Amino acid sequence: MAEPSSSPTVHVYEPTDTGLPPLHRYLREIWGRRAFMWHLSRSELKAQHYDTVIGQAWIVLDPLLEAAVYYLLRTVVRPIGTDAERNALLAHLIMAVFFFGYTRASLMGGTKAILSNRNTVLNSSLPRLVFPLVAVIEAFLDFLPTFVVYMGLHVLLGQPITAALLWLPLILVLLTMFNLGLALLASTVTVFFRDASDILPYATRIWLYVSPVLFTVSEVPPNIAPYLKLNPMYWFLGSLELIFTGHGPTAKGLFMMTVFAVAVFGLGAFYFLRRERDLAVRL
Amino acid sequence: MPFDSETASLAVPPTIEVQDLWLRYRSSQEATLKRTLVGMTQRRKVTRYVEALRGVSFTVQRGSVCGVIGRNGAGKSTLFRTICGILTPSEGRVVVRGHVTPLFSLGIGFNRELTGRENVLLGGLAMGLAPEEVQEQYQAIVAFAELADAIDYPMRTYSSGMSARLGFAVAVHLDPEIVLIDEALAAGDARFKKKSSDKISELCERDCTVMIITHGVRIISSLADRCLWLDKGRVMAEGPAPDVVDAYLRFEGVLDEATAAEDM
Repeated sequence: MAEPSSSPTVHVYEPTDTGLPPLHRYLREIWGRRAFMWHLSRSELKAQHYDTVIGQAWIVLDPLLEAAVYYLLRTVVRPIGTDAERNALLAHLIMAVFFFGYTRASLMGGTKAILSNRNTVLNSSLPRLVFPLVAVIEAFLDFLPTFVVYMGLHVLLGQPITAALLWLPLILVLLTMFNLGLALLASTVTVFFRDASDILPYATRIWLYVSPVLFTVSEVPPNIAPYLKLNPMYWFLGSLELIFTGHGPTAKGLFMMTVFAVAVFGLGAFYFLRRERDLAVRL
Repeated sequence: MPFDSETASLAVPPTIEVQDLWLRYRSSQEATLKRTLVGMTQRRKVTRYVEALRGVSFTVQRGSVCGVIGRNGAGKSTLFRTICGILTPSEGRVVVRGHVTPLFSLGIGFNRELTGRENVLLGGLAMGLAPEEVQEQYQAIVAFAELADAIDYPMRTYSSGMSARLGFAVAVHLDPEIVLIDEALAAGDARFKKKSSDKISELCERDCTVMIITHGVRIISSLADRCLWLDKGRVMAEGPAPDVVDAYLRFEGVLDEATAAEDM
């Protein structure tokens, strides 16, 4: 016991002006909780899907059915000619639904991140940022099997496998950063405005319709393109569409994705850390 | 060794140092978008400030047990949350030398759907321990909590006593430096209370510092070295446990005899 007493960890709690915790220490605290975050996400997902095969399969089946509905919708509205065109559309719809699902799940998970961990937030001094982080880890873990299934379908539907796919990790990193920013914003906003999560299903639905999910970027009429380009998902899904059809992403696409990822993550992290100390009081 | 620690304790600063601590928070209705919009049109601001702590100062030395007593709403839990860093002081300063392991009435329980086993692991990891460190103590934790097969059931099936026992077992087995216990002992049965107070004494011999909130003033008199009595956010008395408990009971006895008797 001689050792810890010679260099104990000293915590000083005082009213702060800036409202931001010391970042260096905060990041170290979070890093020290990586095993915790990993285990929490794993066991929460296990509890959610439980042990059933259907439960596991549902992660993939649910977005696949959604894509199937959109496919029906598209082919009813405007029947398309060749098999190749139909396959390309189907591949696009599945890809877009799966990737959009990752962002949507992060956002939805974020709204519940603090509220559903109310007891833990009130009774432990864990850095609160771990909860939205766990929400994004869970969304990512649910996204992974859908991604694997997509790659299988991509090949089955005769879509090209090219070197352009090497851009995928970078786009995923940027998308994850963007999603984390969204989750951070959502987790804070819902504590201060409890009914915000009621609006969310409508908001994400509209968001999906104005994102290149039901349509491809190449189908966008030039007169509405400037408006759609304000939507971050236009750039993410647009770039993904390019690399999955065998083209490299555009420089502008890469630039815009980076801007949105950094901006939303920065805003989310700043807002969250500013408000973190109020969270326990507001619960 | 004893000689060393004697001399060291003269120079060693207190483990917990609370200086003129004030804590206010806004008490308003649960905020919603709807209420905010309605509020904007009504131009009516209903915000009340609650002063939970008003200039609290005290120190706790390493290896001692400090009891905290007082009525409901005296600010005891708020004080503990501030020492843990869950709430930020409005004024004043809290210095804590060492890692704090909070043990509040709910105990562990990150997810009530998960089994006791998984929650033990999560509880340890949340304290920043490595998975192996938790595994090492795992058998001792389960044995101490006396849960037997229930350890593999979801925690939502646990009684409050079972949750409290598990929470206490996790907190005391993972080599804590400072433990804050808020009523966690109250949920256990008589035998477990005895067992846990023995465990607390054992922790103190290993230089662990303990602060404990309880309405069972008898426990405090026997377990604690010193005692802090809070009332309406102020310190009414701080000193040797029997004296403070005595003063508290006399004070409460005058004001409200029935309640004081129940608290005993």
